[in-house]
Amino acid sequence: MATLTKGRAERAKSDRTTRPRQPFFHRPTVVAMVFLLPFVVLFGVFRVYAVGYAFVLSFQDIEGVGVSEWAGFDNYQRLLRDETFFNALRNTALYTAGTLLILIPLPLVLAAMLRSKLVARQTMFRSAIFLPVLTSLVVVGVVFSLLLSTNGLLNSFLGLFGVPAQGWLDTPHLAIPALLIVATWRWTGINVIYFTTGLSNIPSDLYESASVDGAGAIRKFWHLSVPLSKPIILFVTVLTIFGGFQLFVEPLILWGTGGGPRQAGLSVVLHLYRTAFTSFDLGYASAIGVVLALIIISVSFVTLKLFGFFKRD
Amino acid sequence: MLALTRRRWLGFGSIMIAGTLLATACGGGDGGDATGSEDGAPEDVDSDVEVTTAEGEDVELEFWTFVDAHADFMLERANEFNEANDEYNIILEASSADFEEMHDRLLVALQTGTGAPDIVDIEIQRFATFLRGEVPLHPLTDLYDNHRDQLVEERTAPYTADGVEYGIDYHLGAWVMYYNNAVLEEAGVDVDSIVTWDDYIEAGKQVVENTDSWMASVETTDRFTVLGLMLQNGGGTYDENNELILDSPENAEALQLISDMVNVHEIATVAEGGLHHDESYYQSLNDGKYASLWMPLWYVTRFKDFMPDTEGNILIRPLPEFPNSEFISTMGGGTGTAITTQIDDDKLDAAKQFLEFAKLTYDSQVALYTDLGFDPFRNDVYEDPALQETDPWFGDEPVMTNVQAMFDRLAPEYTGPQYPEAILQLRDIVAFDVIEDGADPAQALRDAEEQIRALEDE
Repeated sequence: MATLTKGRAERAKSDRTTRPRQPFFHRPTVVAMVFLLPFVVLFGVFRVYAVGYAFVLSFQDIEGVGVSEWAGFDNYQRLLRDETFFNALRNTALYTAGTLLILIPLPLVLAAMLRSKLVARQTMFRSAIFLPVLTSLVVVGVVFSLLLSTNGLLNSFLGLFGVPAQGWLDTPHLAIPALLIVATWRWTGINVIYFTTGLSNIPSDLYESASVDGAGAIRKFWHLSVPLSKPIILFVTVLTIFGGFQLFVEPLILWGTGGGPRQAGLSVVLHLYRTAFTSFDLGYASAIGVVLALIIISVSFVTLKLFGFFKRD
Repeated sequence: MLALTRRRWLGFGSIMIAGTLLATACGGGDGGDATGSEDGAPEDVDSDVEVTTAEGEDVELEFWTFVDAHADFMLERANEFNEANDEYNIILEASSADFEEMHDRLLVALQTGTGAPDIVDIEIQRFATFLRGEVPLHPLTDLYDNHRDQLVEERTAPYTADGVEYGIDYHLGAWVMYYNNAVLEEAGVDVDSIVTWDDYIEAGKQVVENTDSWMASVETTDRFTVLGLMLQNGGGTYDENNELILDSPENAEALQLISDMVNVHEIATVAEGGLHHDESYYQSLNDGKYASLWMPLWYVTRFKDFMPDTEGNILIRPLPEFPNSEFISTMGGGTGTAITTQIDDDKLDAAKQFLEFAKLTYDSQVALYTDLGFDPFRNDVYEDPALQETDPWFGDEPVMTNVQAMFDRLAPEYTGPQYPEAILQLRDIVAFDVIEDGADPAQALRDAEEQIRALEDE
């Protein structure tokens, strides 16, 4: 044992003496560190520190500039009595469920169509579908306020089929559908890109074999594309859950901080934002944030479990 | 010259790339900034106002606002101040940002103790937030004292904490009734015969019967419809002792009146989009769908901006009266200009002199009307020729007609510690429940008050 150790040490020493000394910035570890440093520093300051500090704040009572005191679990107890929070949580859960029902199947079908030979000018369509992701939120807000208003384009369109005009922006039970309309327009494109990438990894000979066996387009989609896209479907599902629970911008651009008619469009993050900045109650807002994080982690964990992510193949 | 080998170039390049990554990461956002500059910071105002300089010590003052027109107004006043004042030459650095963005940044700057402007516009709904804890604003009571005998005292109430004033408004914001006289004439109603709310309802029935219009529109997702009448009837959110008074009989009576207009008399309906600031609503008002609406006087600018067909038809009158209320009107909305405690000590005197000049003097109050179209809150300016001028858009009457007669009958609005939350409850829950669902106003107000008290008890 001792001999072995000694031998290694000598070898290492002789390596050092025989190899030319590398300049400092050429050493692989240094290069790696230099490239990683920006991310690590920013992640540390703006994520780790911020999350940790928010956790500490959630045990404090901060109301008004320069006033803070230790509050123990008061903020968490208050959360249990906060009707607005539970209303916001219900709205957010409904919205998330809605996005899962729309933003997984629709982009998957669109991605499959864009890959099929039936669609010409695929690049143009792909760009067009992706364009909403890049559109300025100010524009989105203005356009959708006009589209969804009582005299708006959506009601005019529905009127062609005899549907009476709906108060999309001032009727409580239409608030979540209105948010889903905006979300579908805004996020379908990015999910199409994910699914396109996933589908392009499926070997084409599988499709050819299926064709030889007489499978049609729908059968190939259902029995090949869907099962073989399982990892990417799981990925998009988790992202959609994250996005759903972090709902903030859509209700803000449609209704401002009010949260819509009878707060039917108020999301948890919007409630958090209002608590933090309109009420300047940073302690309670932090408690909402911590609880929201726990909810997202739990839901994501259950999703991964249901998809069999933790099973050994 | 230093010869760089390929390896050195690679090493140098990798450091450059890493640096760029760092810079990009620092500057990157999540695209959440709705307006403002690229990085979301308040932008310098691209104003048409030409800045002039004069004698006196140069004093740079940073001013944040969320209304471009306010920035122009203050830049104009800075020019006038510099001409009139030998002591200081104000160099106003005015920046404008989105409403939420500006208030959020201000709050963070004041909390962290650095980065706040010298002078700032704070909207009435947000002002109470800044009056909690240690107030990070300089008292302006001495500025008010110099003009108090001429000012409508009630307008200072929203910006006051413990008897100290911290902000100065841009307008009075008196609630009035805007009538579309073309609709009323078609219905056979004489606008000046409407004195009480009972008269108004009777006139409304005539309008609904004889025309295709509604007598009024009401809001279910904003506060003005309900808050105006609650205050007019002697209610509101807080009293002068900072006591929450949401659950008061005066408030319940006002809400019942509005609910009855919609649900019993069927002379009023909910405005498009649930508020009086929706594009579709402007269109309907323009088309004569409503014979009247009650809003503060600053709403007057919307007719010329968004409703061209109303030219010549709009008449401005006081609100109809409640039988038992001493008040004829109240004040709505508002923005208080304040001086933050982060201003350098040696600039404070100049800032206070400038703010007094820009907001409280006779000429500046006339300019509130001529530049911004707002109703001034200084009594003596209403005799000024500029305010007496008639406007063909509004029935060839002076726009600010009748305002002065209301001065001794204006209900003050007090903003207690949970005012922002009280307003959210009113506009988001109470208005909708009472007007749309016909809920009992007293019960709706009781529930709202309970919610607010739960916050106060924390």
